[in-house]
Amino acid sequence: MNRILYSGVALATCMMSSHALAGQLTAWVIDGDSEKPYFTQLQETFNAKYGAEGITLNVVPIPSYNEAIQAATLSGGLPDVIMLDGPNMASVAWAGTIQPIGDLLDPAILEDLLPAIKAQGTYGPQEEFYFVSPYDSGTILWGNKAMLEKAGVRIPTSVDDAWTRAEMGEALAKLAALPEVEWPLDVKMNYGAGEWMTYGFSPFAQSNGGDIIDRQTWTAEGTINSDANVDTLTTLQDWNKAGYIVPASAGDNKFYGEKTAALSWVGNWMWPAHREGLGDDLVLIPPPAFGEAGPISANGGWGWAVPSSSSNLADVKVFLNYAMSSEQVAAYADTTGYVPSRASAIPLSKTYGEGGAGELFAKLAACCAVVRPVHPAYPVITNAWATAVVNVLSGDVDVKSELDRAAKTIDQDIADNDGYPPFGQ
Amino acid sequence: MRIRTKGQGQELAMLLPALFFIIALIVTPFLLSVWFSFTDQRLVPRPIPTKFIGTTNYERMFVDPLFWQAIWNTVVFALIVTPVQLAMSLGAAMVLNSAIPFRGFFRSIAILPLLLPMTVIVSIWAVLFRIPAGPFNAVYQWFAGQGNYVDFLGNPSTAMLSVVALSAWATFPYQMLIYLAGLQDIPQDLYEAAKLDGAKPWQRFRYITWPGLRNVNIFLLIITTVGALKLFTQVDILTKGGPNGATTTIIHYLFKQGYATQKVGYASAVAVFFFLAVTAIALLQRRFLKNEGEA
Repeated sequence: MNRILYSGVALATCMMSSHALAGQLTAWVIDGDSEKPYFTQLQETFNAKYGAEGITLNVVPIPSYNEAIQAATLSGGLPDVIMLDGPNMASVAWAGTIQPIGDLLDPAILEDLLPAIKAQGTYGPQEEFYFVSPYDSGTILWGNKAMLEKAGVRIPTSVDDAWTRAEMGEALAKLAALPEVEWPLDVKMNYGAGEWMTYGFSPFAQSNGGDIIDRQTWTAEGTINSDANVDTLTTLQDWNKAGYIVPASAGDNKFYGEKTAALSWVGNWMWPAHREGLGDDLVLIPPPAFGEAGPISANGGWGWAVPSSSSNLADVKVFLNYAMSSEQVAAYADTTGYVPSRASAIPLSKTYGEGGAGELFAKLAACCAVVRPVHPAYPVITNAWATAVVNVLSGDVDVKSELDRAAKTIDQDIADNDGYPPFGQ
Repeated sequence: MRIRTKGQGQELAMLLPALFFIIALIVTPFLLSVWFSFTDQRLVPRPIPTKFIGTTNYERMFVDPLFWQAIWNTVVFALIVTPVQLAMSLGAAMVLNSAIPFRGFFRSIAILPLLLPMTVIVSIWAVLFRIPAGPFNAVYQWFAGQGNYVDFLGNPSTAMLSVVALSAWATFPYQMLIYLAGLQDIPQDLYEAAKLDGAKPWQRFRYITWPGLRNVNIFLLIITTVGALKLFTQVDILTKGGPNGATTTIIHYLFKQGYATQKVGYASAVAVFFFLAVTAIALLQRRFLKNEGEA
């Protein structure tokens, strides 16, 4: 039946598809402006290195990427290598669209991957490796140093001296009292009830000992609506009621443009805008410790996967190991601004290496990143959590009821899919 | 009753292309939706087979409070936006049909919203609604004093009204153009005769214009109502259905179920319900509002 749903797009994608030929590799990649120079470099350097051995690489940026992948899956037109967004990997693996790549990657590379990157690529009860990302992302508190100093707020510089929840609450109260501050904390409510609400807010829950699903039993009841999560979201709701959080209708630029917010909780993709807006006043502050687990950062992003239909595995192996070499991983990071996913690539990066401006990001990625649940029900899990977070931060709703509803939605979906076998068996 | 087809081969042949597209693009997808609504069909392929689950999707839909909230919001939106938009359209059409200076220029200006994609209009209005000092709040502060503002989109009591205002403005020129054509169809000698008889402007509107627009009104009432019931783009970009579901509409609910959470079977049940509801409303409107000359 899905064939009918996608037939139109499938027809178009068939035109773009490439069939595996020995020595000729095709990789589909996302069509982003910031990634484009890297992919051009990847193709050129790969072909220069392996062309003489008879292996050539064709990197194809694909617009409307997810739709194209779905359509090509149905039409049997997937290339040798594809990119996937980390949180979507589990549902693609569950559908049988991609194959394990643990045997294709050099064990030294697997060993060298940051822990959360390894977790992001590991799927199923058998813990097979399906997906590898050349980079990691992360969330951090960005601060306006002038405002923080004026308010007399201590500025943490490392994970070890991160603010506690109480300390952050006090800091927000002091910052809110400054005449130039309208709302002290921007948590990007303007991004709406999408993936950001899971990416950006589940770290607070995890820091307080909670999570959005039990990763052993794969049930949401008792975890997403746990007392710890109620406590976490109640604090955020209280901050919102106290007028500490920039509302969605206030737009995106209160921190870096109008400079009427003193702190911003957002990922590393906002770095260029923050740097341009605040200049020397910009400080990077570790995530707050909401509870016993200490500071937690989000993680994950796009990476490489190999379709089940791909048969040219000897050449794919060469490509994967080249794309995940320390030099290429560092090049990806320096071109796009994301954190290198290999420990050995971090010192090679100008931004994230020792003394680099993004050193804190690299440290967070190594010590304190928690992967989003690698489970085929992830689309439902993230949507249920995001809806609850947005509702809690939009008014005076009962936190427990919102989380109970999320638990019911997730568990019902998992039951509807027979537990997503082999999960739950 | 026997349908006469003899000698109508040419007419039937000319109907075939339209019939083909209606069957391919409307009837077949609807029948598929009906089938999907009784299954647990998902958006993406999966290793377990799609199952026939009877009326489970419908049973779940009818007990979901968010579904009923979406229905309520959609009905409220349609009940407010339809008369507001028709009144705006008729008023604008009457002004542009009168002998005002630069009439051609104003007619061109009035259809500008129709030339902009809805996504652009919504983005512009998002800036207008911005707090604390967006243009609308600047006007509000003129009356309420500096430092006061209204979070039009963040407050459940004003969010839907904000969407109504935006929607009415964004699409009223379409109805206005149809009203303009309707007004130009009313014979001028009726107005001249009424003036000679001493009829005031309101009486001329009440006894000539309004009855003269009967067919136009019925057409516009039906298409505006159906259009209002399909509200999606404005809500998806501006409020994502929030705050706390205050602007969730039935189509937005359907989209979230079918696309974001990939439950195509459940979304199909919502689509079937929506189709039947809209058809019933349109038929009721036709039943109670007869065109001029109809029995």
